[in-house]
Amino acid sequence: MAFGRGKVELDDRAPLLEADRVEVRIGKERILESASLTLNKGELVAVVGPNGAGKSTFARAFCGLRRPQGGAVRWMGADLTELHGRRLADVRAYVPQRAQVPTGVTVRDAVNIGRSTHLKPLQGLSAGDRDAVADSIARARMEGFEERDLSTLSGGEMQRVQIAIALAQGAPVLVADEPTAQLDLGATAAISKMLRELVGEGMGVVLIVHDLALAAAIADQVVVMSSGRTIATGTPEAVLTSQLISDVWGVEAELVQREGRSALHVEWLDRH
Amino acid sequence: MLFALVAAACASLAFGAVHIPLGEVLDTLFGRQVPETSKQIIEVLRLPRTVEAIVVGAALGVAGACLQGALNNPLASPDVIGVTGGAGFGAMLVILLSPASVALLPLSALAFGLLAALLVFLIGFTGRGGGNITRIILAGIAIAALFSAATAGLMSVYPDRVPNAVFFLVGGLTSTGWDNLETIWPYFAVGFVLAAFMIRPLDRLMLGDDVAASVGSRPRLIRLTAALAAAILASAAAAIAGLLAFLGLLIPHLVRLLGGTNNHSYVMPVSALAGAALLTAADTLARTIASPVEMPVGPFLVLLGVPLFLWLLRKAV
Repeated sequence: MAFGRGKVELDDRAPLLEADRVEVRIGKERILESASLTLNKGELVAVVGPNGAGKSTFARAFCGLRRPQGGAVRWMGADLTELHGRRLADVRAYVPQRAQVPTGVTVRDAVNIGRSTHLKPLQGLSAGDRDAVADSIARARMEGFEERDLSTLSGGEMQRVQIAIALAQGAPVLVADEPTAQLDLGATAAISKMLRELVGEGMGVVLIVHDLALAAAIADQVVVMSSGRTIATGTPEAVLTSQLISDVWGVEAELVQREGRSALHVEWLDRH
Repeated sequence: MLFALVAAACASLAFGAVHIPLGEVLDTLFGRQVPETSKQIIEVLRLPRTVEAIVVGAALGVAGACLQGALNNPLASPDVIGVTGGAGFGAMLVILLSPASVALLPLSALAFGLLAALLVFLIGFTGRGGGNITRIILAGIAIAALFSAATAGLMSVYPDRVPNAVFFLVGGLTSTGWDNLETIWPYFAVGFVLAAFMIRPLDRLMLGDDVAASVGSRPRLIRLTAALAAAILASAAAAIAGLLAFLGLLIPHLVRLLGGTNNHSYVMPVSALAGAALLTAADTLARTIASPVEMPVGPFLVLLGVPLFLWLLRKAV
């Protein structure tokens, strides 16, 4: 990989991402108090928590989409404050929760935009760039859709395009904010498998997700957030205990995992 | 589109109060021997005017494409960043208050057009929520209203001089030789170069601010730079041809409907060609239809552009 360009040195042996006690304020209000996370190569970290716990804000902050007021973020050993523009695009790709879907833009056009981080201003795509775009489309399982207009795609297809755009950046880390939130069961399973494959290829993936059963099934590490803080980190089995689910979500539930399957047994109504 | 432009340019050079055969037009352009009167008419009167029509048309097409991309709003035209209101006021100031110094009109229109846009950017891009599209558009509407009111005020104080202003207000080219272009061309140049560098950033913005940020762009900076390019181009266009902002609204839509794609690497250059072709054709009509009286080009532009636009719109739906 072409690391080491420019002034900031990236360290291949450092963790892909270290976020340490990140803090975000809007005006005087602290919407993120202290959130931490470590991501290594070939690892999928799921960030879970109730609505409003600060999951998206945390992801936007460590991705450099909004400025944190406190704490430290390092990408491959380099401080976030020293990474700008293309350098930042080289270390991480961010897949937003809700995509803007323009008309008159094909799948290939959109993925070309992801690849444009590799170009100088006014420079066109090279043959190598076109190959990289085709490869990203293939990895996101969108072959055959290249000439389709974005406005004709289903929710699941659009989400795969978003991931293809991110892959075309060629960054070692993919951060996806609720990529399966509005998808049906089949599309959710397809996206989950694809993310696992990317991890198998050595990428690091941070997944913001509220489906605990899904997080338990596909994540190597789970980070639990509550009221703007990360309160627990570890393997799904160690972290997602009935006690913690009860404390954080206020719901009596038990996570059951067997042979690669997972389910959340929830006590929906008070029977006692 | 290139063909349409060349055809319009040839027609513009050939037709007028005196018809000059196309052969002679080409001979003049390539420096061959032609009758002295034809040469004079083409070099002194028609060529500068044709070039003005091409440059102004291209500038307004590109300005519209930049703004519609930057504000992610299909209704954006140089009106919404205050340029039209500002340039109109600048022109009225000269025409109504000091008709003797009419040579200053282009500079005054340019200066006030840019001033209005800068005020809009100052309000739209600062403070909490600065750079937000709604905020920019609202600031634009407010500033445009302010300048329109000032223009109306001036007109009511000097009602007897208002007829002189009609030509500018509806938009029209004049055969004044190269003088105007010689003063204003640097603004066109800066505007076109800025716009060219905005092609890829505007493509990124189409997928939303978050995707643009993911690929390392700054959405606010893209918006500001693209809007600035549009403001410079539209102000420079107004300085030469009066208020033709409608062209800026119409052309990019026309181009998108024709091409079926929204990519700025297509929309931007083709808008330049289409704007140039349409304005040149409309100006030729305006000069010849009631010859030797010259009509302002604005209404002809609408006359040509709107039916074409409506026809494409019907096909698209």
